[in-house]
Amino acid sequence: MRLGMVIDLKRCIGCYGCQIACKAEKGTRPGTTYARVVKREWGEYPNVKKLSIPVLCMHCGEPPCVDVCPTGASQKRDQDGIVFVEGDVCVGCRACVMACPYGARYFQDESRDYFGGGENAYEESVYGAHERGVVEKCDLCRPRLAQGQEPACSANCMCKARTFGDLDDLDSEVSRLIREEGGFQLNPELGTDPSVWYLPPER
Amino acid sequence: MTAPETARPTKGEDVWIPSACGMCYNQCGIRGHRVDDTLVKIEGNPDNPIGRGRLCARGLAGIQLLYDPHRVDRPLRRTNPEKGIGVDPGWQEIGWDEALDEITARLRAVREKDPRGLFFSGTVISMAPLMHALATFLPAFGSPSAFVSDGHHCGNAEHILARTLHGSVTTNPDVAHCDYLILFGCQAGLGTYYALTTMAQDVADARARGMKLVVVDPYLGSAAEKADEWVPIKPGSDGALACAILHLLLNEYRLFDPDYLREHADGPYLLTADGWYARDPETGKPLVWDLDAGAARAFDVPDLGAVALEGTYRVNGGSCRTVFQALRDQVAKWTPEAAEAVTTIPADTIRRIAREFGEAASLRSTIEIDGRELPLRPAAALYFKGAHGHDNAWPTSLAIELLNEVVGASNVPGGLLGTAPVCFGHPETGFPRWQPGPDADGLLEAGALMYNDPYGRMPGWPPPPESAELPNLRDLIGWPITTCFTPAALNDRENFSFDHRPEVLLNYGSNLLMSAARPEVCFEAFEDAYVVCVNLYSDETAEALADIVLPDTCYLERLDPLPNFTRHHHPVGLGDWGHAIRQPIVPPLHERRHFSEVLLELAERLDITETMNLLTNNLYGLVPPHALEPDVHYSWTEISDRAYKCWFGDEHGLAWFEENGVITWPKQVEEVFWKPFTHGRAPLYNEWVKRSGEQIEKIARERNMKDVDTSGFFPLPDWKPCRAWRPREGYDLQAIYYRVPWHTFSMTYENPWLDEISRGEAYSYFICINAATARKKGIADGDPIVVEGADGGSIEGRARLTEGVHPEVLAVANNGGHWAKGMPFARGKGVFFNQLLPMDLPHTDLVSLSMDCDARVRVRRAEEI
Repeated sequence: MRLGMVIDLKRCIGCYGCQIACKAEKGTRPGTTYARVVKREWGEYPNVKKLSIPVLCMHCGEPPCVDVCPTGASQKRDQDGIVFVEGDVCVGCRACVMACPYGARYFQDESRDYFGGGENAYEESVYGAHERGVVEKCDLCRPRLAQGQEPACSANCMCKARTFGDLDDLDSEVSRLIREEGGFQLNPELGTDPSVWYLPPER
Repeated sequence: MTAPETARPTKGEDVWIPSACGMCYNQCGIRGHRVDDTLVKIEGNPDNPIGRGRLCARGLAGIQLLYDPHRVDRPLRRTNPEKGIGVDPGWQEIGWDEALDEITARLRAVREKDPRGLFFSGTVISMAPLMHALATFLPAFGSPSAFVSDGHHCGNAEHILARTLHGSVTTNPDVAHCDYLILFGCQAGLGTYYALTTMAQDVADARARGMKLVVVDPYLGSAAEKADEWVPIKPGSDGALACAILHLLLNEYRLFDPDYLREHADGPYLLTADGWYARDPETGKPLVWDLDAGAARAFDVPDLGAVALEGTYRVNGGSCRTVFQALRDQVAKWTPEAAEAVTTIPADTIRRIAREFGEAASLRSTIEIDGRELPLRPAAALYFKGAHGHDNAWPTSLAIELLNEVVGASNVPGGLLGTAPVCFGHPETGFPRWQPGPDADGLLEAGALMYNDPYGRMPGWPPPPESAELPNLRDLIGWPITTCFTPAALNDRENFSFDHRPEVLLNYGSNLLMSAARPEVCFEAFEDAYVVCVNLYSDETAEALADIVLPDTCYLERLDPLPNFTRHHHPVGLGDWGHAIRQPIVPPLHERRHFSEVLLELAERLDITETMNLLTNNLYGLVPPHALEPDVHYSWTEISDRAYKCWFGDEHGLAWFEENGVITWPKQVEEVFWKPFTHGRAPLYNEWVKRSGEQIEKIARERNMKDVDTSGFFPLPDWKPCRAWRPREGYDLQAIYYRVPWHTFSMTYENPWLDEISRGEAYSYFICINAATARKKGIADGDPIVVEGADGGSIEGRARLTEGVHPEVLAVANNGGHWAKGMPFARGKGVFFNQLLPMDLPHTDLVSLSMDCDARVRVRRAEEI
């Protein structure tokens, strides 16, 4: 099984719901956004286009972050291809941050809080799950998957732009979308073979 | 009786609690995850039809509103006697009893002198407590002096037409069946607007299915980004474009629905030469031309023959056109070339869009749904603030609305639908129940609007009194709660010689200094009043004006029964009805109190509980045995329990809703696509607007009033320039605001998760300027710039050069740039757009009290800021 996600750029309106759905699920610290949105604009007025491209860890088939990790903290899970960091093993060298071409990794350098005056009750209850001095990243919501739920960004997307499933199963909805709707990966030339696929904005 | 009390959290608890969002006005279903006594996560509630389990960024980020350390936690009293914008109030914490004693004494004095001296401003975001104040406390106190301070974001003219054409407060398209959607200055399902989280799913499905989306907007925002065609337009000219499309549909392409116009609109009604309905001399009923009889006859005689839709006829010795003929004649001057000159949209583009829209409406097609054969009109035009946020709001809105009407795409599958104009009620109780019907002229009359009231103080109603013996302009224009014009009227003593002044301002949840217009307007109106702010923050309004600040609960700390009981929160289209609960996911933190409970206590102290109880019965439609007794002091939970039991039966009281969150049942086809089943006709022609305009003009002339412009009181669509179009030497641009999906007006700028979005995004904290325009002015990307308004005010920010904005336009996201000490996180973030907006008669559409929300400006590079 290889878990992956298909993001339909025709549906996505760039609302940033995924960024906050992830933030709300994971309770990450300021500056850490496992899910985020990149915006691009091209053309000349009035023939101009804008596009919002939601990004997250691509859970690559050939993850350079895993290759460069000196301690084995960055791993790719055999059973489903999820790329994750074993916090206890990570020494915070940040080689993986440099190696990742998708900007998906975040070094937890200091104990910042959002309002700047100390952690509030919510932050006190969630930041304990985030060690300092290590690298963190999207793990496709492993705890949710264990409970039979899809990742938070996908479950919440109010444009239903995200489909989650098994890329190895040719009958799965993700495989069908990639096959029939012109699925593509970001930066295929890098040879990383992402498990996150996109559908074109116009079709 | 004993009502269930909200349980206090206990250690070791791990619960999910269903509730309703309050980060914008949409009331989406949420579930809050509480561990011990801390809220640790908010998700969408999949059981609630509003959102169906999916939320926008704002709804997900509400947790940082609950735990914002800058919230007001205890009552505050001003110690600095000086009031002023930017003045430090010198807050001193006081106890609730002390605060309420002082407020009660002030209110009692006002009530004895003249109860109208109590002014109230509120926010539409907290709709349930707002309605509790507007519909029960204020009338019980005896004051009609209420307004919502975010009124310039409100529908205004759109609400008028939603009422007259759709029997509702607002509209949304039936995208499940629509093939061609034109959005004019609106982002329905694409970033903002009513029922956003549900509409976003439905619009995405429709676009994936192949619905074509055309977005008319000066700025390439989130809707235009997804459009098949972005049509940039000069701000304030949308009405001219709509008139041209009407002209093409009616006069060139003949793409209209004659059966709909004849049977479901006033198309065949005859108009006299001076522009009134020709009426039967005996019954006063509007006349139509009976082709079989060769005579004018009342529209509702039982043996009426075939009725003429077009043409001119001799009636009572005069020449009478049908309304439809008058509409055709009226728009004939709006050739595509004439519209191009105004809108900057090429005439060929206008022709193509008109033809595509008319053909998409598939004029003779039908569809069978649940065994009912219905007209299928899969084309819709929808509009909001970008189009009607101008002082030409009325004619603009009318022109756009009639695009749907002429092709019959109104409250049938595929067209524009009113939000919940028909409800047959829960199957077990028949509650709530309302539906529109015909009035004496055969025109559509709404069943209920904001609450249990067919008018609900919406714009345009009631029309001005017939008598000319009127003291001043104040009595001539309607005072819808949706306007924020009240402060401007208070300042304009010449035209609005009020015989009462604000003695006390009770300000609930609103930051009127920032949200209405430039802050000086509201400050001047209320600087002499005793001001109580009930709010989440010590915001700009509190710091400048408040004598007392009362700490409000946010939506995660309070109980609101039936949070979506006002009609406009329901998604349109087939699916389920849903009525929910908003309940405390955590008990109120610190000393915060729910405004509704404060109102009940004030009522008891002022001895107005008896009247308030009767008005509460009216608000929720409570009938025995659930109606409130006049002489009992009910708790808020008791009132909530009675409202639920009255609507949904004794087994569905407050306790049931606390547990289950939302009650749902399927909508019926006749509720959703109700037009074929209703006799009320949609008025294409608006006699009441013509009458209002003539009365206002007459009296303004007699009284020598200034700045009273009735040139926009058109009974049929037309266009006139908005105020920002007046040429001013050297001021070569128009500044507009647009809205992003992750902020609500200015209130969410204090939320750090949402701020993190804006800081990572390229546009929303900048002033967007067309790249070519900027280069001509020597402005580079990222430069500090100053934007100066021709009517005063200036704003500063950094330039973002983009191709995605009209060359004559500067675009600012929402309304940021807070300066209050009490909102330190929000301070200086984004741009304070409203500084450019005066609020006065010349900038206001008197039909709807919409203000011109764009400004004529010039821009220059600034010194480093």
